[in-house]
Amino acid sequence: MTARIGNLIWKELLQLARDWLLTTFLFVLPMLQLVLLARATGRGVKEQPVVILDLDRSAVTRELAVRLDNREELVVTRFVEDERALEEELERGEARAGVIFPSGFAGDLSNPTRAAPVRVVVDGSSDAVAGIVQSAVETVFADYTRQRLAEQGIRTDPAIDLRVVTYYNPTYNVRQFTIPAQVGFITYQITLVIASLGLARERELGTLEGLIVTPLSRTEIVLGKAIPAFLIGLVNFLFLVAIARFGFHVPMRGSFLLLLALTVPFLLAEIGWGVIISSVSRTQQQAILFVFMMALADLTFSGYLVPVKNLPLALALVARVVPMYHYLTVIRAVMLKGARPGDLGLHGLALALLAAIILVGAVRRVSRRLD
Amino acid sequence: MSPRRTLAILRKEFRHIFRDLRLFFLVTVSPAFLLLLLAHVFVLDVQQIEVAVWDLDRSPLSRRMVAAVTSDGEFQVQAWVASYSELEQLLRAGRVDCGLVIPEGFARQLEAGGPAPVEAVVDGSDPIAAIQAVFSLSQRTTAFALAASGGGKSAPVLIDVRSEAWYNPALKSLVSMVPGLAAIVLSMPALALALALTREKEVGSFESLIATPVRGAEYLLGKLGAYLACGILGVLPVWLVAVLYFRVPFRGDFLLYLALSAVYFLAEMGFSLIIANFVRNQQTAMLLVLTVFFVPSFFIAGLILPVDTRNLLSTLVSYALPTTHFVAISRGVFLKGVGPAPLQTHILLLLAMGVGGLLIGLVLFRKRL
Repeated sequence: MTARIGNLIWKELLQLARDWLLTTFLFVLPMLQLVLLARATGRGVKEQPVVILDLDRSAVTRELAVRLDNREELVVTRFVEDERALEEELERGEARAGVIFPSGFAGDLSNPTRAAPVRVVVDGSSDAVAGIVQSAVETVFADYTRQRLAEQGIRTDPAIDLRVVTYYNPTYNVRQFTIPAQVGFITYQITLVIASLGLARERELGTLEGLIVTPLSRTEIVLGKAIPAFLIGLVNFLFLVAIARFGFHVPMRGSFLLLLALTVPFLLAEIGWGVIISSVSRTQQQAILFVFMMALADLTFSGYLVPVKNLPLALALVARVVPMYHYLTVIRAVMLKGARPGDLGLHGLALALLAAIILVGAVRRVSRRLD
Repeated sequence: MSPRRTLAILRKEFRHIFRDLRLFFLVTVSPAFLLLLLAHVFVLDVQQIEVAVWDLDRSPLSRRMVAAVTSDGEFQVQAWVASYSELEQLLRAGRVDCGLVIPEGFARQLEAGGPAPVEAVVDGSDPIAAIQAVFSLSQRTTAFALAASGGGKSAPVLIDVRSEAWYNPALKSLVSMVPGLAAIVLSMPALALALALTREKEVGSFESLIATPVRGAEYLLGKLGAYLACGILGVLPVWLVAVLYFRVPFRGDFLLYLALSAVYFLAEMGFSLIIANFVRNQQTAMLLVLTVFFVPSFFIAGLILPVDTRNLLSTLVSYALPTTHFVAISRGVFLKGVGPAPLQTHILLLLAMGVGGLLIGLVLFRKRL
């Protein structure tokens, strides 16, 4: 039996090697993709453009403009003349926020009986950015107020001094958060592409019948398709982790062997899905479109867009059966937090269980479809 | 070039798409279906932060602070710990997002007028969530400190900051994500075109096409036309899902949105034509579309994090992706209700990509195997 599977694997690899374009893409594209994506991912919400409409033109408003510009989240790009110009900047997406100082601002500020009003307008069309920009602007005004009151001898420091200690990523570098996710997604995409098209391609080109009449059993056919996909996925994973670790200095605080051990069931589960898709599709085109739909669903539930615990209950439960969710948690925890086997027991168990169920399902599905 | 032959190809493609129910579904309805699936993630706009508390003070005041911080449900106490190593283990396993350490003497210092130190230990591995957690926590401790000190000596307000969020006043994720995700789900028709083109080569039906008098340009334009038309047809259900189901405000002009979607499809399909030229089978075409368009669009198209325009390379990479432009266009027309003028950079770049891709595709196309 092993010899027969070996032959089938050999056939698959030969077939792959003959298609040099695909082979190159399979190994070069993922690395190129990670390098470009990682470099194109900014460090976070920093230096977002702000425009200022200063109707007061006083020393105070100029100082506040400088303070806004000094905040690392913000950069003052323009002083506009009227509200229409400010609106245009926001509409064009050239500015994320506008600050409007009305005339008489400085006068109101030194008048103890009244507060000086200032309008802060943020572009809400991108909500995460808007939230961070808004709190950055408000912090500038709060700090300025505190300093001014301190000069007058009024202490306004809050009675509780909250000291923040940040573990794992103290500079809040977004790249350290996204690169492990990118490694996971790219490995996923390669593995699924190979696994999902294997059988659909043979069926579409009419070579599947030839395979069926050989002494190969159904399980052997599935294994023969699955093992090359597994090897390609694994090799890609190793390259990608190396690039993340040595090219982009993402730490590997935990054990690499632990990560590798948990990558195996993740790859197996995705291959199982690939084989299932492959067996329900009559043509490659259908298989591919199914893969895209599945990839979207997996991205949705992976916890990359929204943390799974913030999902509505039903969706949070669905996420538990999505291998990608467990895997992204694992890869981040191992690389960034140095998680140990005991910390990841549940996720590891879930990955192993899902891999087993999906693979068994795939073999059964194929046995029925091929007859 | 004969319009008659182009139309014949167009008709053949339409028949292909409409005959195969699954293909029809995937080209026209699947974007709306995917949007329906994806956008549910953003329906709940809550943030839950799980916290472990280490209360060294064990005073009524420290307990009251924990109660005050967790009263509205955003922060939830998952565990009470008694050492840093215990806290670190919970953070490492992802069971909590942050730790709150109340040192001994907290109540005494607070009653004496402060400042009483409190430590927040945050998991920075998700920086956006960590920044939000710190911000929310400091708001709550400050409010508690004010209340605990009698609330009497609140500082005078010098500056009255009136913040407003335009286009999305409540800063709801759903409102901002649905128009953005529309750009991602609407890439399905371009993928289908890339596959349709490579499929003819792989399955062998291209050979019989070569034998017909159809010219390269007629063949490509006919195919492109059919998938473009189906794509535009698919915009309507996407729009309906966004507006009727998710209740995202649509402030712009629908016809403009439709026209700009067509420009987006053209740009994406231009890339499909180029890809299909070099690629001999659907597997390779799919791999290219996935790696070049699909996965990157989640990370660098400005969907969540802004496009990093301070760095030339990242600007080039993001701007070369049609999705980046359509995310901006879709949000602009949906939420800002703008006309074409403020979006002209994005529109022109998409048009350039579309026309460029079409020309390159036509020049490279050879009617042979």
